[in-house]
Amino acid sequence: MSEPLLQVRDLDVRYGDAQALWDVAIEVHEGETVCVVGPNGAGKSTLVNAIAGIHPAHRGRIGVGGADITRLRGHRICEHGVAVVPEGRRIFPKMTVLDNLVLGAYRKSARRQHRATLADVYEIFPRLSERAGQLAGSLSGGEQQMVAIGRALMAQPRLLLLDEPSLGLAPVRVDEVYDAIERINERGVSVVVVEQDVQRALAVAGRAYLLGEGRVVLSGPAATLRDSEEVRRSVLGL
Amino acid sequence: MNVIQAILTGALIGGLYALMATGLSVIWGVLRIINLAHFGLILIGAYLTFQVATSWHLDPILTLVISVPAMFVAGAAIQWLFDRLRLTEFNSLLVSFGLLIIIIQVTSNIWTADFQRMSADVNPYATLSVAVGRLVFPVTTLVAFGLAALVVLGAHLVLRRTFAGRAMRAIAQDRAVAGAFGVDHRRLSVLLGGVVGATAALAGMVFALSNALTPETAFEWFGTVFAVVILGGIGEVVGTFAAGVLVGVLSGVVSAVWSPATAPFVLFSAIILALLVRPQGLFAVGGAR
Repeated sequence: MSEPLLQVRDLDVRYGDAQALWDVAIEVHEGETVCVVGPNGAGKSTLVNAIAGIHPAHRGRIGVGGADITRLRGHRICEHGVAVVPEGRRIFPKMTVLDNLVLGAYRKSARRQHRATLADVYEIFPRLSERAGQLAGSLSGGEQQMVAIGRALMAQPRLLLLDEPSLGLAPVRVDEVYDAIERINERGVSVVVVEQDVQRALAVAGRAYLLGEGRVVLSGPAATLRDSEEVRRSVLGL
Repeated sequence: MNVIQAILTGALIGGLYALMATGLSVIWGVLRIINLAHFGLILIGAYLTFQVATSWHLDPILTLVISVPAMFVAGAAIQWLFDRLRLTEFNSLLVSFGLLIIIIQVTSNIWTADFQRMSADVNPYATLSVAVGRLVFPVTTLVAFGLAALVVLGAHLVLRRTFAGRAMRAIAQDRAVAGAFGVDHRRLSVLLGGVVGATAALAGMVFALSNALTPETAFEWFGTVFAVVILGGIGEVVGTFAAGVLVGVLSGVVSAVWSPATAPFVLFSAIILALLVRPQGLFAVGGAR
């Protein structure tokens, strides 16, 4: 198999004295959708934030497309084609929808084509073009999630990281979000979804990782994890 | 007629307050730094205009060729330093106050604590005025108002329309996420510090046109300029301009109708009242912050 697009090895992440991840290793290949599931506090968001450069790694190596991004300052990481939809969306509430989206194309290589990318994003989320001039903070939760995903797409990522995209949304909105994720993946973007909604995430992903207390407990094809005893016990509480 | 004249003159003088306040407000809104050293930069800008115009017999407005680049560098250097020190909002108040005291000390060592004023032969603007009917407007206040309007309009357009401006507003709202999209906070803060330093040079030049200089003047700006920043809404450039004009009009009218001595009392009572009604600032609509 070719070299993976994302390769995380021996990753330790700390918050001060508290260690949140131990020896985490995950891989994502070109075109794949991979999900990371696990109970609250397992370190799922920490993993996303370490890859996206929002929080630094303590030890280990994070490679994207063969390049080592472990020690890069946060703002350099997106140049390697990584974009993030952070937990809780974290859109810019006092900026318009359009300004949120255009900011997503801030990195140099995305900036030149930002008008064309914007048309693509509006095609995936037509609602955003109707709301373009509104302040992002005034939108509903589902619309804000669209802004967050659209903003990430504006960076023209090779790898899209989504942290709890279903959090706090009505079921019908969750459907829309997951439809969009599938369509984004069909366009050739590799996707990592971190979720507490395990059923939903396992349904969309090809492969999956189960995190528990900061370590990878289990990994394999999503279908296998869905039926596994560990997943049922640790996440579904069955 | 007196009152109309007072209103209009006050509005024009308000331009100077807005010019002094805009940079302070933007740095506070975007970088969460309350940079009191900004008053120091305005002071140095004023002295540079005085010195260059006096020594070289240069038109005071042309002294900007020297003072704008100099204050750009100084403003950028200060922001670079603040970034290295990883200042919090409150710490920035203390550190920049220290810096301001040092600047005032250095200026009084160079230019003494005595009042200094450009003589009439180098500064033709001090005595010029434009008459419209029975209303008279000193040219210096017209220059102040015009420059303030230009700076505010420019800042507004940059913040709304350019990638750098959007990035600054994004930093103000969520620095870490802005970083994940490639916004280099360190570089932008140094750039912003430089641009704000340049506006301090403009404000200093305008002040020197119509006033005698002494280092202690920097302290006199504090109250009014802070009032303008807070009333306008932190980080709101258009709001700052409106607040500057409002404060100018209010002081002008109170001085004309009552007496100049009561102006601060009425002004700050009005500001406290305004903030009780709208704590986020009278003109805050959701700008940089």
